[in-house]
Amino acid sequence: MNRRRVVTWALLALGLAALVLLPRFVTSYKLLTYTRLLLLALMAQGWNFIGGYTGYASFGNVAYFGIGAYTTGLLMIGKWHVPFFPSLFAGAALCAILAALLGLPILRLKGHYFAIATLGVAEASRQIADTWDSVTAGSTGIDLPLKTEGEFFYYTALALVVGGIAVTALLVRSKVGYAWVAIREDQDAARMLGIATTRYKTLAYSLSAAFSALAGGVTAYQNIHVTPTDFFKLDYTLQSIIAVVIGGTGTVLGPLIGAGIYQLLSTYVWTKFIELHPTVLGILIIFFVVFLPRGLVPLFRATRRTVQTGRGFHWRDLFANIRAHRVT
Amino acid sequence: MSSAELSQVVVNGLLLTGILALVAVGFSLVWGIMNIVNLAHGAMIVLGAYLTFGLHQWKGVDPFLSIPISMAALFLLGYGIQRLLINQVIRAPLLATFLLTFGLEILIINLLNYFFKADLRSVTTGYSGSGFTIGPARVPYIRLAALGISFLLVLALGAFLRRSKTGRAIRATGMDIDAARLTGVKVAKIYAITFAIGAAMAGAAGSLLSLSVPFDPTFGGSYTQRAFVICVLGGLGNVVNVIIGATIFAFVEVFVGARLPALSQAMTFAMLVLLLIWRPQGIAGKSV
Repeated sequence: MNRRRVVTWALLALGLAALVLLPRFVTSYKLLTYTRLLLLALMAQGWNFIGGYTGYASFGNVAYFGIGAYTTGLLMIGKWHVPFFPSLFAGAALCAILAALLGLPILRLKGHYFAIATLGVAEASRQIADTWDSVTAGSTGIDLPLKTEGEFFYYTALALVVGGIAVTALLVRSKVGYAWVAIREDQDAARMLGIATTRYKTLAYSLSAAFSALAGGVTAYQNIHVTPTDFFKLDYTLQSIIAVVIGGTGTVLGPLIGAGIYQLLSTYVWTKFIELHPTVLGILIIFFVVFLPRGLVPLFRATRRTVQTGRGFHWRDLFANIRAHRVT
Repeated sequence: MSSAELSQVVVNGLLLTGILALVAVGFSLVWGIMNIVNLAHGAMIVLGAYLTFGLHQWKGVDPFLSIPISMAALFLLGYGIQRLLINQVIRAPLLATFLLTFGLEILIINLLNYFFKADLRSVTTGYSGSGFTIGPARVPYIRLAALGISFLLVLALGAFLRRSKTGRAIRATGMDIDAARLTGVKVAKIYAITFAIGAAMAGAAGSLLSLSVPFDPTFGGSYTQRAFVICVLGGLGNVVNVIIGATIFAFVEVFVGARLPALSQAMTFAMLVLLLIWRPQGIAGKSV
């Protein structure tokens, strides 16, 4: 193991220790923010598989967030009173299967068409949850058993996020990860090289659905009350996309870093200027798309290169994206 | 469905076709020429609606007379947005422009919410609600006028694109940007004009919609979706395709709305997904 890897692992261990010890130092209200941060990171990790690595901009991941929430809730309050964790993973499994079935037709679409088709899937799921009264209780929603220990949710979310990082890191270093990136860069070339593109795309989409479902299930148990309007909100999809874009698309730690920055900033803006909250969100999106489309992780890399080569980060670097992509 | 109900549904479908064609034509132009799916299109429609509302409420301007004003205002806004923002990243991967226009949409809607509050607004004039009947079907004057104005604007845009020098430059840029540049077309400027025209059409659509539908700042999102479906149904390329798409969409929406109102949106999307799988280039369109 060379020095750089030792440093990386030490930093990761330090970060994990800080996250594990965090609940001892913050109020239970603050802990709620951090739990939300982790759940956002989880959903962002899911989006990263399909949107970041495979390059398919899904705008409908909230469909699986909602379906995961409903499945978890309905299993817990149903006839058999299934405990929380089996219900949670059942929701994730259901969403993975559902996404595989839906993925077969919609993953044939490219670009904008795929994005809008996924948006349609999300909208249709919301309407089904809204009208399927006998199962989902329609717009009234369902109520889960009460559980108020904030630490339980925090540690559940933390464990899932750490698991997500491990899964991502393993997959992207394997054949699967290379296939995803090949599809993102040039699908036709990937197919000609003998990569079974449909299979890998479906895997990415299923995984992203399962991660969204896990985030949805935990959120459902924490919020107690699950309604179609709350759990099929486009905002969840968008926040996860923004988190990935801020952190760096197609990177292992990007979703967590991005979710951290987004959630803390959003909480700050929320407490200061509640009415203009979405405006700040909009400006943030525009800023990142224009100046830092690859997020902050490449920026960290540039900083590390600075240490090695002495060529520092310059504010002009912010305009590199514009120089590369503008039209004159 | 009784014959009286049927004739009303057919009339409603026809009246809806015009306004939907106007809603979609700018969206189609921007998508076809620059490959941008403008998610802020609906927000621009709402801006047009609020301009008409504001001018009518506080200055007493007749809503129909405010159409040119809202077109001019949206034209300038669109020109600025394209020149200063979208042109800077237009050659980046698709997700970039998608997210950028999404950021703009959030921004516009939230600012409208801030200044006008989330109350449901409508523009009511002395002639609101009056109309005439053909057999058993009722035709409100306002919606008939909206139909006429919409078709006029859509066809005028078609003629502009086909005959004028700028229109030809726009189409040439859409076909081959490098070849267009070689013949002396200023691409950045043409892009800005294209987006500005799309915005102006959205503004006109908003002004007309404000007369017949109550609206709030979030009202535009569903129109972005409709514009998208219409473009997919008709295919990109020219204004006739937009009219074909709008006709199909309007009649499906009116018929489904009359029978299964709760599932109208889910039905629209189901139709869209099936169509995309069957013919990704649209019913009438050529491959893009």
